[in-house]
Amino acid sequence: MFTLHGTGVGFGIAIGPARLIRRPGQEVPEYGIPPEQVEDEVRRLHDGVRSAIECLSVYYEQIWRESTEEVHAILDAHLLMMKDPMLTRESASIIRERQINAEYALQIHSEDLEAIFRNMDDPYMRGKADDVAQVIGRIQDELLGQHAGQSSLEGIVEGEIIVTHDLMPADTIDFKKYRVGAFLTNLGGPISHTAILARSMQIPAIVGLHEGIRYLKTGDMLVIDGKRGVVLVDPDEAALDVYRKRAEKIERAHQALDAIVDKPATTLDGHSVALTANIEFAEEIVESIARNAEGIGLYRTESLFMNRKEFPDEEEQFGIYSTLLGKTGRPVTIRTLDLGADKQVDGGRQSMSPATNPALGRRAIRLCLHDLTLFKPQLRALYRASVHGELRIMIPMISNLEELDQLFVLLGEIRDELEAGGLPFRPDIPIGGMIEVPAAAVAADLFARRLDFLSIGTNDLIQYTLAIDRIDDEVNYLYDPLHPSILRLIKSVIDAGNAAGIPVSMCGEMAGDAAYTRILLAMGLRELSMDPAVIPQVKQKIRLTDIGKIEPMVGELLSAGDSGRYRELIERIEI
Amino acid sequence: MRVEKSIRVVNKLGLHTRAAAKLVKLCAGFGSSVSLCNGQRTADAKSIMSVMMLAASQGTDLELAVDGDDAEEAARKIAYLFENCFEEDE
Repeated sequence: MFTLHGTGVGFGIAIGPARLIRRPGQEVPEYGIPPEQVEDEVRRLHDGVRSAIECLSVYYEQIWRESTEEVHAILDAHLLMMKDPMLTRESASIIRERQINAEYALQIHSEDLEAIFRNMDDPYMRGKADDVAQVIGRIQDELLGQHAGQSSLEGIVEGEIIVTHDLMPADTIDFKKYRVGAFLTNLGGPISHTAILARSMQIPAIVGLHEGIRYLKTGDMLVIDGKRGVVLVDPDEAALDVYRKRAEKIERAHQALDAIVDKPATTLDGHSVALTANIEFAEEIVESIARNAEGIGLYRTESLFMNRKEFPDEEEQFGIYSTLLGKTGRPVTIRTLDLGADKQVDGGRQSMSPATNPALGRRAIRLCLHDLTLFKPQLRALYRASVHGELRIMIPMISNLEELDQLFVLLGEIRDELEAGGLPFRPDIPIGGMIEVPAAAVAADLFARRLDFLSIGTNDLIQYTLAIDRIDDEVNYLYDPLHPSILRLIKSVIDAGNAAGIPVSMCGEMAGDAAYTRILLAMGLRELSMDPAVIPQVKQKIRLTDIGKIEPMVGELLSAGDSGRYRELIERIEI
Repeated sequence: MRVEKSIRVVNKLGLHTRAAAKLVKLCAGFGSSVSLCNGQRTADAKSIMSVMMLAASQGTDLELAVDGDDAEEAARKIAYLFENCFEEDE
């Protein structure tokens, strides 16, 4: 038994076997082989090569028809490389000499070969290094129990603990389908995509293990303590027993929350708060309704555009939005495309050059206004769908008043076009802005005058204001939703909304964390949108809050110069 | 029978992975053994890894040596493959 440590996020405790998911360029596990098992390990290597050849051949046959001659030539070459005894001879001797596992021996050999090719003078010769890395990578995948040409998620068993370098936003689409036990990743911090996904699936995750996962292999028994950020590898019976009991206790507390699902989100002093759901897939409506969400506060449309070759056209989007509005039967806020930055698309038309800093690049509304062939079909689809329910449209990453000018001209054009075409739509759909860039928060009063509602997106607002990359685990200890600058910005956005007479809500992760609920209520927020899974926790906190008691403390809090006093006030408000 | 022949790499990309694959597939069809030498290193032309290790970019002169009953035909077809830039568009 040994332990690994990282940043714990998500819920509770998970116990289950590890499932390693390798990404290109990611490290393979490294472990020693006892001398008497070395020949078995060499046989394992050869078996791995054989099944890699088989898999690649099958894959090759499957894609033969729809692929080009160039692809055939590459796959021909890769198959020849796999079948060449010279490729594995060296790896076999590394296993014997160093007494290490086959995957790692291949890694050493691969790096040696890649170095030779990369040192060749002719740049065309260096391409061979990538071919070697790909071919050896396929053999390593086979040894690790993943099959070439298949989704690496196929065959995942319920309760398995996913161990991987990092999760990408696109992975969330796949993982929601599997009932995995927990996530472990090398990278990531408290608000990385892994953390958000874990919270929404109500499972624990440990992120920022740095290179910790290299000590794990598929099948290792693991205990994940999401609260403390500890992984127990190969736990003994005594440790298992302790953790099983704790897991049961957490489960019971969780079930107790179910009892308040049907109760109103009203404070002790009678203020009611609207709790709405953040969703990404239409299937989540069911859960949102089950948790008694008053509507959808944020429907993210990116997933409609990701993991596919062609973008959905106006008709397809119209169908999806209409169904969503009809099925929900409550107000739905749909956010227009928030692509760019860490959410890139696979297929599609625009070639997105790798920006120096994608978070500050052409993303969201900037990308949409730049590429109307992307934006206009979505807006037309939204207008047409508006007759099927209560729709609000939210624009992400607004930072500039000129963007609003352009947007309103475009919306006017769309209304004229639809009218001319005789297509029904609601002309007065509320148009709101997501306040997530500090520029928009500071000048919120100017934006509030021209929009119908504001919604505070805390994830980006915090990352931009505090200058912390949220996926950089070296600085995410600085990530602090309670930083005075953040609370002041939130307060000024709420005040700007009130002055303009428009509603202000919050849809970032902060809104769904019960640890911040009271401070948000004290500052005046009355609509919070969050992952449907956490609605009961936040509701429980609301029902135990007396706003009248905590509101008077806000003024002093926002101007407290002493950090000790600041923390004291926060504690008095929250606890 | 042994046939020796000097051949030059004329295509722009040189003996890159895909070209190496074509060469290896061609050589596999002959009973003769085939080797290529760039002056420093000799490669077994029936092993793709061996051919890839040969740094043979555009303009490199190689010594081809074919040993066996079908050596003459093999040498001719191999030289043709090089001259035709491995049947690839440049």
